[in-house]
Amino acid sequence: MNSTHEITGDQTHRFVRTHPMWFKVIRRPAFVWATFVLLVLYAILLPGREAAAPAVMIVSISLFLLLILTWSANVLADRNQSEAVKMIVALLLIGVLGWLFYNYSGAQWDKVADFFFNWEKLEGSWWILFRGLGVTLLLAAISAAGTVLIGLVVAILRQFKSDTLNFFLKIYIDVFRSVPMIVVMVVLFFALPYAGISFGSILSTIVALSIGYGAYAAESFRAGIESVHSGQIEAARSLGLSRWQTIRMIVLPQAIPVVIPPLTGNLVAMLKETAVASVVAAPELLKRARELYTSKTNPTPLIAAAIIYLIVLVPLVRIVNMLEKRVKLK
Amino acid sequence: MNKNDVMIETVDLQKYFKDLHVLKGINTQVRRSEVVAIMGPSGSGKSTFLRCLNRMEEPTSGHIYVEGIDIMAPYIDINKVRTEIGMVFQSFNLFPHLNSIENIKLAPMHVRKISDKEATERGMQLLEKVGLSDKALAYPEQLSGGQQQRVAIARALAMQPQIMFFDEPTSALDPEMIGEVLDVMRTMAKEGMTMIVVSHEMGFIREAADRILFMADGLIVEEGTPEEIFKNAQHARTLDFLSKIL
Repeated sequence: MNSTHEITGDQTHRFVRTHPMWFKVIRRPAFVWATFVLLVLYAILLPGREAAAPAVMIVSISLFLLLILTWSANVLADRNQSEAVKMIVALLLIGVLGWLFYNYSGAQWDKVADFFFNWEKLEGSWWILFRGLGVTLLLAAISAAGTVLIGLVVAILRQFKSDTLNFFLKIYIDVFRSVPMIVVMVVLFFALPYAGISFGSILSTIVALSIGYGAYAAESFRAGIESVHSGQIEAARSLGLSRWQTIRMIVLPQAIPVVIPPLTGNLVAMLKETAVASVVAAPELLKRARELYTSKTNPTPLIAAAIIYLIVLVPLVRIVNMLEKRVKLK
Repeated sequence: MNKNDVMIETVDLQKYFKDLHVLKGINTQVRRSEVVAIMGPSGSGKSTFLRCLNRMEEPTSGHIYVEGIDIMAPYIDINKVRTEIGMVFQSFNLFPHLNSIENIKLAPMHVRKISDKEATERGMQLLEKVGLSDKALAYPEQLSGGQQQRVAIARALAMQPQIMFFDEPTSALDPEMIGEVLDVMRTMAKEGMTMIVVSHEMGFIREAADRILFMADGLIVEEGTPEEIFKNAQHARTLDFLSKIL
């Protein structure tokens, strides 16, 4: 017996995807390969930088850019294309763009290498940079502890729902989320001594980062605390637990796993932000790099510092990403 | 102590949520070992009344006497009052980061200050009583709704309360799990626990309740034994409500 749900041959066409003719043509391998060969020919025939009038250069390179981008888009947007092919095309595109920039930007590459990648200038000075990194990490670690402490205390105080308290806590949070960190540091380091309070560069940095990022952490903690269902608090209070016991034993254990991803995100951002301590002369990585830049009259130390920041921060950023995913899975 | 001791008495209990008058003056008494069911249409103030009795909601005015003591007085530590009143919620509210036995022994250890060993022992007895001694180490998410609610009852009983409040304890349960929770409640009633139950489980109320308070629009409009209310209700609101659920 035929099922009533069976789709017979003459009905299927109702649901079949149809494309216009031109679309079918551009997605054919033959078309893709043919246009690729044409683009290669175009690239070979592109005149050298000084070989043609500037107007001709601009038009021919712009046209080439337009064509190669269109061609890549055609391949990358094709969902029947394998990821391996897309990867090859993407790398090819990046290579071509780099090749264009190298040949036609007019940069003096030997000078660039001499200025920015002159590693010989750094010989014997690497340890200065690494000591700077040590100071950076120390500043970040102490400030992180301060941030977490301030954030937690402010978030807990907000749970007491006192209007007066909340008014002032909100001012604190809003002010420090609005004022750039560098301004806070400058005020602490350069202005406060006139009021008779001298923190010194290290302490200024730690205080500025702690209270500045504490404001963000307070918001993260508050979001975590408020994500705990109100029934949890009712159940705890109905058993006779005090407000403080309820926060400590019921709310925080449930809130902290929620808070950890955004909080670590903030702390990683703070580690990066320690670089502004160089304006108050804290001897951290960027400050050391700038000193070397001056003494060696060469910017290579700045590039070296950038690479060190990258090496330290990229793994941390990946960890934050994993933590976020883990919480989402729950 | 006399069997006819008044456990809880309310005098002109009123509650406003902003401009909304939810409780319009509740006067009633609950005696020791009495099982009182509160019924009424939704929005009649049943849950609010129950939650006012241990000040989970703060009453706007009126008096609540627990064993003769006015718990609305300013010098009262409400946490101490609540140790004598167990509460079971519609949505169980077990602590998800603790397993069953940890849920049960938390309050005895940190409020009653009894030792871990004693709290664990007593907790295991209670789990056995609700038929879940094999689930002591299970976390709430690993338990069915009915099992969670039975652990929640054991958690409330672990404080050895004088009285138990049930706020629609079976409303969030699938039908096949309602029975196991009601069985536990029936046993407690037989053992002489004083209970106030907001529920519409007719079978349970008919069998276990000594008295029904029927509420409508923030007032107790009618009260009596289940027999009187189900067979011979007088008030129009009661009759209307019963005709809809029977």
